[in-house]
Amino acid sequence: MKMTPKYIKAQENMKPGKITADGFLGNDDRNLVDIITTDEEEFSLLGMDFIEVAKLMRKLMKEGLKGLGQPIIYDKWEIKVDEARGHLPCPFQDGIFRKCVATVKNLKNGKEIVYSELSLHLLAAHHFLQGKGSKFRLEPTLIKEVLYD
Amino acid sequence: MSVFIAPLIVAGLTTALAIVITIVDAIVNNYGEVQIDINNGKRVLKVRGGAPLLTTLSSEGIFVPSACGGRGSCGACKVKVLSDVGPYLPTEIPYMSKEEIAKNIRLSCQIKVKKPIKIELPEELFNIRKFKGIVESLKDVTYDIKEVRIRLVEPAEISFKAGQYAQLVIPPYDNIRESTQRAYSISSPPSDKNHVEFLIRLVPGGIATTYVHKYMKEGDVLELVGPFGDFYMRDTNADMIMVAGGSGMAPIKSILLDMYERGITHRRVWYFFGARSGRDLYYLELFRELEKHWPNFKFIPALSEPRPEDNWDGEVGLITTVLERYLESIIPKDNSKEGYLCGSPGMINACIQVFERFGIKEVYYDKFA
Repeated sequence: MKMTPKYIKAQENMKPGKITADGFLGNDDRNLVDIITTDEEEFSLLGMDFIEVAKLMRKLMKEGLKGLGQPIIYDKWEIKVDEARGHLPCPFQDGIFRKCVATVKNLKNGKEIVYSELSLHLLAAHHFLQGKGSKFRLEPTLIKEVLYD
Repeated sequence: MSVFIAPLIVAGLTTALAIVITIVDAIVNNYGEVQIDINNGKRVLKVRGGAPLLTTLSSEGIFVPSACGGRGSCGACKVKVLSDVGPYLPTEIPYMSKEEIAKNIRLSCQIKVKKPIKIELPEELFNIRKFKGIVESLKDVTYDIKEVRIRLVEPAEISFKAGQYAQLVIPPYDNIRESTQRAYSISSPPSDKNHVEFLIRLVPGGIATTYVHKYMKEGDVLELVGPFGDFYMRDTNADMIMVAGGSGMAPIKSILLDMYERGITHRRVWYFFGARSGRDLYYLELFRELEKHWPNFKFIPALSEPRPEDNWDGEVGLITTVLERYLESIIPKDNSKEGYLCGSPGMINACIQVFERFGIKEVYYDKFA
């Protein structure tokens, strides 16, 4: 995969201050395509599929919304969803998303992941899990531990 | 000497190129004077063409809402265009619904004013101004909500309806290189014409709330644009059922104080304030005091997970559960009712469902989205 103008523009939009205060790249000095390609490989090694993972995360967020900001228990997870006013645009400029953040904890192993509507879209549509060191980075191994253990 | 020749030549060529580009730009992008017809001749502007519609209008004192300052990343600056401005741009499409495209709604930050253009704007936009103010006080009301009070300087007075919001212009700070705008409900009453007050909750990673909580200081000069919004008290005699938690209290506080000041105390009002635990509660004394002087006003704070140290003896449960209980058994059914909600889409949708079960159809809300 090449760093096409689309990815160059998206990477520019991911810098701190463009869309969020901290941006989407953390302290990762790799380019966007390298970040995505590496995570795609790891997903594959872990036997996970982006579409299926996104579907489950979306379902959990939907359940969490019923708590109106308070944590709820759904199956083996504790889920808390917070919402703030406004929208965030996707750095790939293909949509805007509510500022809705889910914290999902696996009650069996205590591991948790935090994701927003936007990071869910980035995972599903662009296979982008954010750069290493980013507060909203979704490590593939952690996704597996939280969702499938 | 010879070591300077190459850099001098490069500098000279660069300068010459810049001059050529400037001249060509001035010729090619010179659209001359262009007319903007607003609302079928109600207002006609003669402007210098070439700039985006959003910035052209703001330079004429007409402020279309924008959360991103015209960078094409919020989708808020939609305007109905009545004349041909060319096909939709790729930068507009992600923000448009099919219905909006059918009505020729466009993103005003993306379309440039290159020829005469006819547009339609809501009348209330003509009341919007840009203000300069000074941060008069910053107060922590909870661990994550700040009360921000701004004294207006230029203009020194604002006119708004209790319940409306303003766009706060956040200046560049730290590694944030560009200014940003974010909408916040005004929590002060309209009678305080020289000030605006906001209740701003820290959103992790948020550009604006990080600035407010970590960088803003008393004495800072800020700009804001407003007022906007159609969330305000309707002039009827219906009972008012208000629900808001967290920073959603802001427009509710403004409405309640405004009603009390203007003597609109014959209406029965119930305000349900939902929070998780004691540390999320604030302004309790303010509303308890209001209850003492306004017999028809009832303040019902409810905690969903009170902690032992809260020593809480008030209502417990999710706010929608408490609301339902009150509508079922406590709030009289002898008068028509209106709902006033401020909060997340999830909370609002849940409350609307409760209201529907009790036949309350007139529901007004400031949906955080």
